[in-house]
Amino acid sequence: MKRASAGASAATLTLHGEGDRLALEGALETQTLAEATRALGQWLHERATGGHRRALDLKALSGLDTPGALFLCELREKGVELTGASAEHKALLDFIGGLELKPLLKVPVTPRWREIVIKLGKGADEAAHETYAVIAFLGRAASEIARAFAHPSRLRLPSISRHIAETGISALPIVGLMAVMISIVIAYQGVVQLRPYGGEDFTINLVAVSVLREMGVLITAIIVAGRSGSAFAAEIGVMKAREEIDALRVMGLEPMEMLVVPRLIALIITLPLLTFFSDIMGLAGGAVITQFLLDVSPLQYVARVHTAVDWKDLFVGIVKAPVFAVVIGIIGCMHGLRVHGSAESVGRETTRAVVKAIFLVIVMDAFFSILFEKLGL
Amino acid sequence: MTERGRHNGEAILSARGIVNRFGRQHVHDDIDLEVGRGEILGIAGGSGSGKTVLLKTLTGLHRPDRGTVLIAGKPVEELGHAERASLIGVLFQQGALFSSLSVAQNVMLPLREHTELKPDEQERIAAMKLQLAGLTADTGIKVPAQLSGGMVKRAALARALALDPRILFLDEPTSDLDPLTASGIDALVKQLNEALGITVVIVTHDLTTLFTVCHRVALLVDHKIVIDTVEKLMHSRNPWIHDFLHGPRAQGAMEARKEARTESHGNR
Repeated sequence: MKRASAGASAATLTLHGEGDRLALEGALETQTLAEATRALGQWLHERATGGHRRALDLKALSGLDTPGALFLCELREKGVELTGASAEHKALLDFIGGLELKPLLKVPVTPRWREIVIKLGKGADEAAHETYAVIAFLGRAASEIARAFAHPSRLRLPSISRHIAETGISALPIVGLMAVMISIVIAYQGVVQLRPYGGEDFTINLVAVSVLREMGVLITAIIVAGRSGSAFAAEIGVMKAREEIDALRVMGLEPMEMLVVPRLIALIITLPLLTFFSDIMGLAGGAVITQFLLDVSPLQYVARVHTAVDWKDLFVGIVKAPVFAVVIGIIGCMHGLRVHGSAESVGRETTRAVVKAIFLVIVMDAFFSILFEKLGL
Repeated sequence: MTERGRHNGEAILSARGIVNRFGRQHVHDDIDLEVGRGEILGIAGGSGSGKTVLLKTLTGLHRPDRGTVLIAGKPVEELGHAERASLIGVLFQQGALFSSLSVAQNVMLPLREHTELKPDEQERIAAMKLQLAGLTADTGIKVPAQLSGGMVKRAALARALALDPRILFLDEPTSDLDPLTASGIDALVKQLNEALGITVVIVTHDLTTLFTVCHRVALLVDHKIVIDTVEKLMHSRNPWIHDFLHGPRAQGAMEARKEARTESHGNR
């Protein structure tokens, strides 16, 4: 097939003649098609009625591509006679005309209000299923863990230690840094709010109590959900997408036992330790910032913290950590195992795992706050 | 084989002195390649011989360490966006259909971006391209995840054909397909070449494709390239080429070639 030029912009098309007989000159291609449709559409419209024998001469046509041929075939079907086509163009026209052309199907459109109702219903249904799925997965994981402890040979220690290193030790820098930052934020706000009442010394109490009871564990859990929850979902998800999980099953190995149990156990061990580390770093950050803001020496600070909090506050913070660990681990592994098919699915499930884990951690934390208040702890 | 196109003089795609290195490893060492207008060229070679790198070099996706690639007489890296789109179409090995778009939207994307056609015209053209690629119009509303392997290749082919490119690059068009579907793709490529006069460059392992569809075959051997018709390559003294074309699998492909020949002669 010849074309007037390689450059798409250089293709031109002109229409000659008048009345019932017109002639095309130039290239009838994708680039010139819009123009041709406009010009010829008008001509067709004007001469639609009456016994016009309309004809289009293609002798001077230099280029023709498939959309152009499709357009000419449609004209031919409307009763326009095509004359003078070169052998090459005729072959192309016959080829395109020979295709069984059907219009594309349209996607049915639902009204906006119905869409909202449908989405709401689907969302509620999904939420119910999700809750059930999480509980069921928790049960399965718990029974696997129990079985692993009953038969210690099934406790995969190398795997557990690797996950402790990945989720715990390599998270130390970021967790420590975040704890320091949070205590700086609390201290600044505390000093500003308490100074008008002459109670800026109580900033130390504020920092110590909020870090030990809430902030230390919450910040740690959120960082771990972002770091390790997503890693669990992505690692297991990629294994699922590449049929590695199926390979394990075929070999008679239980994916729950091989993949989920070591990760859960590792996270249950590391999250309380990380929380403790975060508490210490938060208090240390408080010491630095209060020395700067209130001229309190580190020794005075330690004495003050001693009176402000006791072991109970530390316990209230750390006891939440294993629960959060279970939530993060379960959600991460569950979404990893939900991956099916493509790489796209891995990304989607990972995002869901992180969002859901952080959401549940905060919900659980609120629940614990109420619980400890009622218990008088 | 078609009379049209084959060796009618001017080369639409030419590569001169292509050198590709990755670190110390030489992949291509001074490769020259010319593809005539309307020709079907097969590129083959062992695993790791740099077939895909060569394809990426020819399409301008990979810049060679040395050498130039000319498409319609113009260096490939100097082509503008719309110009490139109307000159070359590529069928990627996995299809590379955009998973967030329906099949029809995939085909319409280049039409939407590079032409001023109205939406209903775009749809008509997309429906025609799907039919050209051997799919029915109702495939258009499906999303790529719902397609089988053969349909993915056909849909990707329809997208590659969207702007009626002058050269069509196919990366392993028959891999991962059952023999029947693979022959369907082979026949389709041949038909498109004959009906549209489109130049085709096929990178493939599939000996049947090489033997029955391609006018000439380029074999990548020892970082160099040997281009000739299958008949002449069969008598090559190079041991690798000899083994490649005389292996147990080559026998069946040769049979298919003979059959295809007699069939196409019978039709004329």
